[in-house]
Amino acid sequence: MFGRPHLYTSYEQETKILPTWTQKVFMAFFVMMLFLLPFDIPVLTDDIPGFGWVPIIGDGIPGFRFLGDENYMRSTTLVLILTIAALGLNLLSGVAGQVSLGHAFFMGVGACAGVYLGGEANSQVWGHGLPIWIWLPGAGVTAALVGVVVSPVAVRLRGLYLAIVTLGLVFVGIHFGNTSWGRKIAGPPSLGREFQDVQLKFWKEDNALIDFSDDGRWLWFDVTDAEKYYLLFLVLTIGFVLLAKNIMRTRTGRALQAIRDRDIAAEIMGVPEFRYKVIAFAVSSFFAGVAGALYAALSSQLLSDAFNLFLSVEFIAIILIGGAGTNAGTVIGTFFVVMIPRFVEDLTEWLAAAEGGVAGAVADVVLTGGGDFGLVASGIESQGWPMSVYDWNVVLFGLLIIVFLIFEPLGIYGIWVRIRNYWKRWPFSY
Amino acid sequence: MTAGTETAATEGVLVTKSNIAKAAAAGVAACLAIFLAKQLIQDPDLFFQTFMKSLGLGSTYALIALGFVLIFKATQTVNFAQGALAVAGALFLSFMVADDHIPLTTIANPLNNVGGPAWVGWFLSLAVALCFAAVLGLLIERLAIRPMIGQPLFSVAVITLGLEFILRTANNDTSETEFRSLEIPWGVDGFNVGEAFVVWSYVAATVTAGVAFLAVFLFYRTRLGIAMRAVAFDQETALAQGINVGRVFAIAWAAGAVLAAIGGIFGTQPPVKQTGAIDPETANLAFRALPAVILGGLDSAGGALLGGLIIGLCEIYAGQYMAGLSEQIGAGYPLIIPYVVMLIGLVVRPYGLFGTPEIRRV
Amino acid sequence: MNRLKWLLAVMVALAMLAAACGDDDTTDADTPDPDPDPGGATEDPPEDLPDPEPDPPEDPPEDLPDPEPTTPAIATDVGVDDDTIRIGFLSDLSGIFAGLTVPITDGSQAYFERLNDQGGIAGRMIEVVVRDTGYDVPTHQTHYDELAGSGPDGVVMIGTSTGSPHTASIREDLIDDELAGIVLSWNSSWASAGSANVFEWGTNYCVEAMNGVSWLADAHDAKSIAIVTFPGDYGEDGAIGAKLAAEALGLEVVYDGQGSVVPGADQTPVITNIVESGADIVWVTTNASSLAELIGGAYGEGFTGQWGGNGPSFSSLLLPTAVGPILTANYTHFAPYASIGSGDSAGMADVLSLMREYAPDKQYLSVYINSWLMGEIARQGLEKAAENGDLTRAGVTAALQSIEVDFQGLAANANYAGDDPNDQIARGTWVYAVDHETYNGDATMLDDEGEGLTMIGENYVSEAAANWEYEPCFAI
Repeated sequence: MFGRPHLYTSYEQETKILPTWTQKVFMAFFVMMLFLLPFDIPVLTDDIPGFGWVPIIGDGIPGFRFLGDENYMRSTTLVLILTIAALGLNLLSGVAGQVSLGHAFFMGVGACAGVYLGGEANSQVWGHGLPIWIWLPGAGVTAALVGVVVSPVAVRLRGLYLAIVTLGLVFVGIHFGNTSWGRKIAGPPSLGREFQDVQLKFWKEDNALIDFSDDGRWLWFDVTDAEKYYLLFLVLTIGFVLLAKNIMRTRTGRALQAIRDRDIAAEIMGVPEFRYKVIAFAVSSFFAGVAGALYAALSSQLLSDAFNLFLSVEFIAIILIGGAGTNAGTVIGTFFVVMIPRFVEDLTEWLAAAEGGVAGAVADVVLTGGGDFGLVASGIESQGWPMSVYDWNVVLFGLLIIVFLIFEPLGIYGIWVRIRNYWKRWPFSY
Repeated sequence: MTAGTETAATEGVLVTKSNIAKAAAAGVAACLAIFLAKQLIQDPDLFFQTFMKSLGLGSTYALIALGFVLIFKATQTVNFAQGALAVAGALFLSFMVADDHIPLTTIANPLNNVGGPAWVGWFLSLAVALCFAAVLGLLIERLAIRPMIGQPLFSVAVITLGLEFILRTANNDTSETEFRSLEIPWGVDGFNVGEAFVVWSYVAATVTAGVAFLAVFLFYRTRLGIAMRAVAFDQETALAQGINVGRVFAIAWAAGAVLAAIGGIFGTQPPVKQTGAIDPETANLAFRALPAVILGGLDSAGGALLGGLIIGLCEIYAGQYMAGLSEQIGAGYPLIIPYVVMLIGLVVRPYGLFGTPEIRRV
Repeated sequence: MNRLKWLLAVMVALAMLAAACGDDDTTDADTPDPDPDPGGATEDPPEDLPDPEPDPPEDPPEDLPDPEPTTPAIATDVGVDDDTIRIGFLSDLSGIFAGLTVPITDGSQAYFERLNDQGGIAGRMIEVVVRDTGYDVPTHQTHYDELAGSGPDGVVMIGTSTGSPHTASIREDLIDDELAGIVLSWNSSWASAGSANVFEWGTNYCVEAMNGVSWLADAHDAKSIAIVTFPGDYGEDGAIGAKLAAEALGLEVVYDGQGSVVPGADQTPVITNIVESGADIVWVTTNASSLAELIGGAYGEGFTGQWGGNGPSFSSLLLPTAVGPILTANYTHFAPYASIGSGDSAGMADVLSLMREYAPDKQYLSVYINSWLMGEIARQGLEKAAENGDLTRAGVTAALQSIEVDFQGLAANANYAGDDPNDQIARGTWVYAVDHETYNGDATMLDDEGEGLTMIGENYVSEAAANWEYEPCFAI
């Protein structure tokens, strides 16, 4: 039943998403866990003795169930949304080798298109109040079109020139929020505009079939709006993961990889470079556009300043930390980049509250209440050394990028592959 | 369809497009020239004042851009942390001149009472601050860049992005987001030429940029400079010729950081800032200077000078003479002028004005 | 692979089915529509009492009806137990305004520390729970969710919520969760019905601009005005107020730069427009950095008008820089509260004694007044709630909605009772001349001066502001 890994008897077999039964079972179990995450399933919430002390786990719930807690729900949902966008950038940068610092710009375009199509108009802003099955794909398509418009310039540029030009897009995009017509779409700068509720309905005035923005009851569960968003976005994210995976293992993906590895050689072999680069830009922008609209929907606020350089760099970090060119790496990277700051904050808080024991001793060394000793200011201190945990998080973000690039260029996925290979061959080294 | 026809078709499209772009650019340039000539005749004083202002801004951009180019020529990477380095250097200077102890230590600062006029102490402090910037550049190169030799170029660029976040946080925490005055001797005063008011810092920035570029051009004629150009041309061959690539890297980073610090110091002066004080916003100056480098060509020092001046000129003149259009083109439009100019430039020349086109082989 | 697809399809279908089946009872099962009438809030607690029972599973149900033997019967739900009262702070400790918010949070901690030393509220100590929002809406919401949860991390009220868009993004949640939030932002929308649980204090930007323009026009005998502000909720609120006042006073608006100042951009176009307009007075609602650019640039080009601004447009930190002398000669500042050390009100004496005892080495800054004022609102609200015997979230909110907070001369009193926003909003502004020579960056709370501000008007209410019928100037 388990078969032999790496023994393929046909090409079709080799390109399967999950080639072995073990992987299928694990994946099915994992996906089921994801769907059940927000709910209190007794089996999952039993307190395992000895795990109560783990600080990030909240109420002593083992495993990763805490991610479905009220506290964490929004961050967990954000992971899903950013995963969609990061998958898009992975296709462009990881698979096709076109480095873009403008991914946040395309997210912003998607968010603006989403609110323009789906939002309600008033004297300040435009909007059409269309249902979600128009505005969500519309967001993606608009971003893809903008991607196609930009790509003729982008395709001519290479490497860092391309990176800096796409960086320019981010600034230009934020500036559009300052123009008189940009304000009609995105709302006043620094304030933004309310994003419409996510409701599934047939047409404008119909009653909502499913209202994701209000509490309700599904099957045997009471679900809050946050949990509904989570489930909706989970379904969408799984869809986009499969889409990305399928793009990568079909003709388009192979063409993009060929271009990344050696573009002229690819062209000689009959891969039209220009066309595939435009496709890469369009697809990647489509992912970004959908994610942008969802991003604004999650906070029910569209703020043009939010789609800034930091967000773009976050995506680059996601891809590099996760492992460029792989979908699994992208998902892991997103989780890592979004969640690590939360964990660090919680850990600091837990340390600050700890008295005595190992935790207390660690707290004495690491934290400082009065600013005399230690690395992290635990109280609200004036700025300056020691830095607060929030500043440390930014530093940590930078350090993670550097450390991963220097020591593990293949990212977390690379680490995983190494560990897996080690155990696969154990006790032999080759 | 064969690859050959496809390529020909693509290039055909591109060639026509670039011709159209060239024609359009020429047309726009002609209109601009007429408009500016009209302004010159109407109010020559204002025009001259604007010109000096744009020279000041352009020189500041050019200084930072030159730092980018030096680092790019040696290590083939864009240093995204240039802005944070600029603030770090200028911040160190502000500590040198304002505090009574040497920054990061408790030792009394001997430069506070060197005697003589006040500017003697200031220039000595400046020298120390520039040394600090150089050491910072060396440290970064040794710790974060040297291990990346032979890695993809973009990875190195992303490392500098990571550095930017670290340095920026450190800067904000050290300065406590205050306005820290640099106490520059010429201050924000100026002199009148007719009706036009010219701030001393415009002149200072222009002169400094001139000197810096002269120094770099002379440096490229020295033994080390030739070694640096050889490294830029082909790292492996340079290594084979016995050139110490590591040392070239180190020198380029030190020089780049020093230029960034000088740019940062002028970034606290008119026309960039009126306060004569460093504040966290100054770090964004490098993102405005980046288009200057791209416009001039990433590997051309002359291009950095020209690109910086062009961008500065466009930004200030657009700010002065398009003010009435703020409503239509959006408030704060000078912020994106550098990028718009860069995009137009790149449509015409994908490798910048003086950049070397990359020769691609299979 | 096909099987996997099938499995996924089934799961997706199941989820959708679940959604479709379950959802129809949302509308009726959910809520009896939240009562928008703030006056009716007092009737909430009785229907609220049975509510907490099903929510926290770890709470033994017998606990609720049984009054504690030691303390008088005080109903509680989240964030309050026998010894502590948890108050949440959503402050931007990192991000662009950190320089302001960090000292404010310092001051708040000092305030509650003293309150605890004096015995707390109803025998309970105040626990301040601070979360950094990074001046970012999603982060603000994330931490709001954390504090508003019903678990052990929950709080009984939000003691500070910084920023207009950020607070606007949680104001509906505040009503749903029956939480009160004290806002650190002076937009003119907070007094409107949609923000029932957002408690504002001090004069809003719009009224402040009316007072400021009236004062400037009076003091400098002005005929024309230029208005330059940030875009968005803060700047445009001020711009609209300034224009209302200009209209009332018959001033000619020679340059309307509402929303023309974008932070971080080169300000040449705005300066050009100001200089060309030749206005007698200029009204700014920006930040300190942009004010320096504008005033320095305009004087460099020979402009000679007088300037005034409000809120964070000015910071004393500008005084030691090169624009200090220009500001001293030409700038008047308007603020919703007294600056530190100015006047001899009872409130000022209290702030000074508080800071001198609990934070003596902090810099001599007015921002601590913010901390004191917000602390007063929280204290008086909680005390009122304890008096009512109801320290639940809804109880605290209802208590706040019934009180008038006396700021003892530090700011225009906050009146949360009553229904008419015209009675509720504050209209008094404090006016300052600035002086770079009296500024001393090293002055600590133990000194008597050092901020470079001289009060020249106290609780000044212009005619335009007094006659103004409330309506959000720049609605958010």
